[in-house]
Amino acid sequence: METDNTIIKAENIKKSYKMSKRNTVQALQGVSLDIKKGDFTAIIGPSGCGKSTLMHIIGILDKADSGKLEIDGVNINRIKDKEAHKIRAKKIGFIFQGFNLIPTLTAIENIMLAGKYGGLNTSARKERAMELMGMVGLAERANHRPNELSGGQQQRIALARALMNNPAIILADEPTGELDTDTSKDIINLLKKLNKDNNQTFLIVTHNTDVAQSCKKIIRLKDGRNDG
Amino acid sequence: MFGIAIGIFAFTVMGSMSLKLNKMISGGKRYITGQISIMPKGSSYGMAGGSVLPIDTLNKIAKVEGVESVAAGVELLMEDIDPDDPSSAMSFGIPPTIEGMDLESNFKNKNWETMNMREGRMIEKNDPDDKIAVGITIATENNLKVSDKFTIRGKEFEVIGIIDRTMTGPDSYIMMSANPAREMLVESNPFLKSLKERSDEAAKISDSALAMMPEETKKQISEAKAFKLEDVNTMASASWKDGENSEEVANRIKEQFKDEVMVLSPEKMGEMIDKGTLVFNAIVLGSALIALIVGGFSIINTMIMSISERTKEIGIKKSLGASNKSIMLEYTFEAGVIGLIGGLLGIGLGLITIILINSKTSANGAEIFLIDRNYLIGIIIFSFVLGILAGIIPAYRASRLKIVDAIREL
Repeated sequence: METDNTIIKAENIKKSYKMSKRNTVQALQGVSLDIKKGDFTAIIGPSGCGKSTLMHIIGILDKADSGKLEIDGVNINRIKDKEAHKIRAKKIGFIFQGFNLIPTLTAIENIMLAGKYGGLNTSARKERAMELMGMVGLAERANHRPNELSGGQQQRIALARALMNNPAIILADEPTGELDTDTSKDIINLLKKLNKDNNQTFLIVTHNTDVAQSCKKIIRLKDGRNDG
Repeated sequence: MFGIAIGIFAFTVMGSMSLKLNKMISGGKRYITGQISIMPKGSSYGMAGGSVLPIDTLNKIAKVEGVESVAAGVELLMEDIDPDDPSSAMSFGIPPTIEGMDLESNFKNKNWETMNMREGRMIEKNDPDDKIAVGITIATENNLKVSDKFTIRGKEFEVIGIIDRTMTGPDSYIMMSANPAREMLVESNPFLKSLKERSDEAAKISDSALAMMPEETKKQISEAKAFKLEDVNTMASASWKDGENSEEVANRIKEQFKDEVMVLSPEKMGEMIDKGTLVFNAIVLGSALIALIVGGFSIINTMIMSISERTKEIGIKKSLGASNKSIMLEYTFEAGVIGLIGGLLGIGLGLITIILINSKTSANGAEIFLIDRNYLIGIIIFSFVLGILAGIIPAYRASRLKIVDAIREL
């Protein structure tokens, strides 16, 4: 398996869900992809084509039924369940459609939480979180709770949280799904800037053609398979 | 949290009640097992039942083999029970009680030789009859200090000592010499009073006048004259000589005087008290335990609810890299903290209740609850541990949640 400069290598990933005794849904029927360091890639396809399932498997939030998966040189097929959390904490950052911030924590606490699981001590967490808040342009909103922030601001906080542990890759699942057009552009521009300035790798699941157009590479899925 | 607060509240209040009672009982037990208690036949322990112990009988008991000395005693309530309000007789603790002591006797309780005094001194041999020493509850409630005058049942006394807090009987005692207590008992008891009046009347009849009376009358008058104040004893305490076995000495007295007195040996009394305490503690702590189990289930319920409401939060944390172990620890600790807060709340409410009830009941002669710092600290630790125990299952379930399912939750 080629690992040179490759961040994500997936081969023939299959996943099915048993809905009832007789009804099994084949979500992924053999998807392969190869993401290099610094890639800015979109995964597009119609609803139900398996985009989110693929994202969850790459993010080790779910397990494939079969196929090979390697992230930043680590063979995910071989790691035990007990070790998966370490990979999630250190190598992967997530951005979700619904932001997924914890409502009882302030913006900075939400960001620091990722550092806690990444093994940073409190002062290092705080320092890094403040730096990231500055980077996403929200330094002055550090002590606000998510419900006191706009959708765009919440997504910036979610981005800062995803960057907390310097992950090898950031997985974004419909990051602009709940944002208006202007705010969507702002967020995508911010992601592009991070990609350009820091060579940060992004893998973005989207329906939005504008978002897809702004990506360097597009992976199309259809009926749980690579489409073209 | 409120469930555990209620459980801990019950535990605090009932436990403090049990502690107080145990303290009272253990003090009483210490005293009662330090002597052989003798009572008139047909009376119940502690209170004058109408019958008395004649001094001649006590003098004879003092001569039984192994007996060191015998002290007569007179016990009566400081105030008669109001017949219109019999509820005043219902008291959790020991009501204010007059203890008439035989100061001439050399008797000493084996376990409780002397009383610690807060102020002044204990009454002693040769003290005039109007000197008294009072327990701390009596002193506090009547605002008494040494050298104060205190009127009991129409008779004025001078306080010469205040006994230090014992948390048991003596706190509510008024110690005086036997004679004034005897007089007050006679005055309060219609039967004894009529005997005394007849005796006083009979005393007025000269021997020469008596000689002229018919035989039957003579007999009645002689009998009336035979009444002596020093026969009015409601109880007596006997000590045994060093090296003698208290049970054997008690049995000897019992055998020789079985028709006249009731003898309570230290060992038997100790057993009786232990049995009573055990049953009481089982009832009180049993009910508190039920409250606590309910509280424990309420924490489990609270945690299950709280975790099901925060399924998504757990999913987010796991997606950020939280291990199953850290989720388990985090939510177990949270349950512990909920238990702790509930416990503190329960203790707070319990203490307020205890203090309020104690301040009310102390006016009637008895504090029902004992506030013990170590017990309260124990309850705080216990509530934390209970929270942790109740939180383990919900926390385990939280740690096992599938991330994808958890994140999809609304």
